[in-house]
Amino acid sequence: MVYFINDIITGALIGLLYSLVAMGFVVIYRASKVFNFAQGELVIIGGFIVWFTTMQAGLSLWLSIPLSLVLAGLVGYAIERLFLTKLIGESVFSMVMVTVGLLILLRGLVLLLFGPAVRPFPIIFPLRPLFLGDMLIPMNLLLGGIITIVAAVGLSWFFNRTRSGLRMTAVAEDHVVASSMGISVKASIAFAWVLGAILSTIGAMIFLSGKSLTFLASDIGFAALPVALFAGLESIGGLILAGVIIGIIQSLTTNYLDPLIGGSLGSVVPYIIMLAILLIRPTGLFGWRTIERV
Amino acid sequence: MDPSGVFPTSYRSDRRLIRTRWQALVLALFMVLLLAAPYMVSGRIIAILNMMQISAVIAVGLQICTGYAGQINLGQAAFMGVGAYTASILASKTGLTFLLTIPLAGLSAALFGFLFGLTAARIKGFYLALTTIAAQFLFHFAVLNLPSTWMGGSNGITVPPAELFGLRLVSETAQFYMNLVVATIMIAGAFGIVRSRFGRAFVAVRDDDVAAGIMGINVAATKANAFLIGAFYAGVGGALWAYLIRFVGVDQFTLFHSIFFVAMIIVGGMGSIVGALIGVFTIRIIQEIIATVGPNIADSVSFLGGDIVFAGMNVVLGGVIALFMILEPKGLMHRWNILKSSYRIWPFPY
Repeated sequence: MVYFINDIITGALIGLLYSLVAMGFVVIYRASKVFNFAQGELVIIGGFIVWFTTMQAGLSLWLSIPLSLVLAGLVGYAIERLFLTKLIGESVFSMVMVTVGLLILLRGLVLLLFGPAVRPFPIIFPLRPLFLGDMLIPMNLLLGGIITIVAAVGLSWFFNRTRSGLRMTAVAEDHVVASSMGISVKASIAFAWVLGAILSTIGAMIFLSGKSLTFLASDIGFAALPVALFAGLESIGGLILAGVIIGIIQSLTTNYLDPLIGGSLGSVVPYIIMLAILLIRPTGLFGWRTIERV
Repeated sequence: MDPSGVFPTSYRSDRRLIRTRWQALVLALFMVLLLAAPYMVSGRIIAILNMMQISAVIAVGLQICTGYAGQINLGQAAFMGVGAYTASILASKTGLTFLLTIPLAGLSAALFGFLFGLTAARIKGFYLALTTIAAQFLFHFAVLNLPSTWMGGSNGITVPPAELFGLRLVSETAQFYMNLVVATIMIAGAFGIVRSRFGRAFVAVRDDDVAAGIMGINVAATKANAFLIGAFYAGVGGALWAYLIRFVGVDQFTLFHSIFFVAMIIVGGMGSIVGALIGVFTIRIIQEIIATVGPNIADSVSFLGGDIVFAGMNVVLGGVIALFMILEPKGLMHRWNILKSSYRIWPFPY
């Protein structure tokens, strides 16, 4: 029973990590109507920036973490300036295709610059797990979960209650309408990508703390997709609930179903959930319902 | 736009694909060149041509699904994989002739694609792209986790060579002709599909699916059909691939390969069969150049580590997709059409 509860707690915390990466998706979508397929690549670039500033440049953590976040923000800004500003007002199809192109472009760049070698990642969160009776809870996931919840509450407040957040929401509704209302679509998209890159870097720190870093870590971007969909692409607060549910289901499948059937169903169960969500309730739990006119 | 003096006098002539004698001549010349190719060029180029023909079948399928029907499809490599696995399992276990395994591979891929296309009844736009990504992951999962006696697991399957009347089609030349025949049939079929009522329904759904629904088109069925046809082409291409490589493994059908096919139709031009062929030609040439010069660059530039061919391919193709979407979203075919109409009306501006 203790193990069961432990699995549930660990699963929920991993789910919160997915929520944080998915928050990158949602923030970019919420402020620019672009669905960013390259989210996992942003995570891995964040990871390499952190690795570079600590392991390579030898800065202390207190200096390197803020520096990494700033650098990641710059990378996000550069991507937006180079690729997405030019597509404002173009069809959603073009924007999505550009992010698909970015997906393989960034993957290739990371491979070219850093190669497929495995690198040690700095220990950002204490390695010692938290002992609760017989249960042990990984410290990085626990602290990461707290960061995720704080970030979700903060961003949710920002997008739903503040004036500038609501402006970005208008951009997500329609680029042309937003710009004719005097809202700067450019600024909104730029902000979204900077924020998305920073969130991805925080995700990389939590995910990789004390582990090893390779380009394969970008798979977490796709693992976070189902969470973003389940919550509904427009809802930041809903990510917490969606992440926890999917994390728990995945953890239970991995620990109890996989030994029975002898396969790695746990790794694919989020996608099965994703298909089910798309079929049953495509707007997710808290997404906007849209009305279409010709 | 037709050249001066060519105007249709009946509906039949208005629907014709070959509109001038010059076009007929060029087409005939092109086919003769292709037929004679194995006797004119070296083995390396034949191998490249083989890859191009197979890619052409798959890219034309993607063109119908994405370019004509407007459904973003990031799972074309998975559909191709289903076809390749079907063909290789049938060929290695039951010993069926390739005349049957290739259509059956297409059908099984079509069924798989149709299942994912059915989600179009509920969702649209890039949400649909997500289900195709899910198809990609589920395909991997199924191959790697089903009992390895079924699909070979991570070891892959070795495919026996195609045989026709006791002749084993193993040489590159023999395979070239087999691919040429299949690719010609498939591409001719694609021209037929896109000007049939299905093709017109695809275009209507692409341009505005709400309006298309109001005009009486069954939008969900049309989208599912688009996936069915696109996946059928991918399945046939996958079967050809299995016979060419004589080995299938799950690593040959990843999301990256799907994106390479997307790159082909974006470069060539969305919504044009000939555009898809131009895209295949361009992208395959680029890939060939990278595969040739990549190792040399890796030798001379030391800090570039690792798998430079794969990495370089990703950088170049990702950059090409982004550049074309920004600078010329209609692709090379559009440029060619502009050029063509300008020389036809020369010296007048319009």
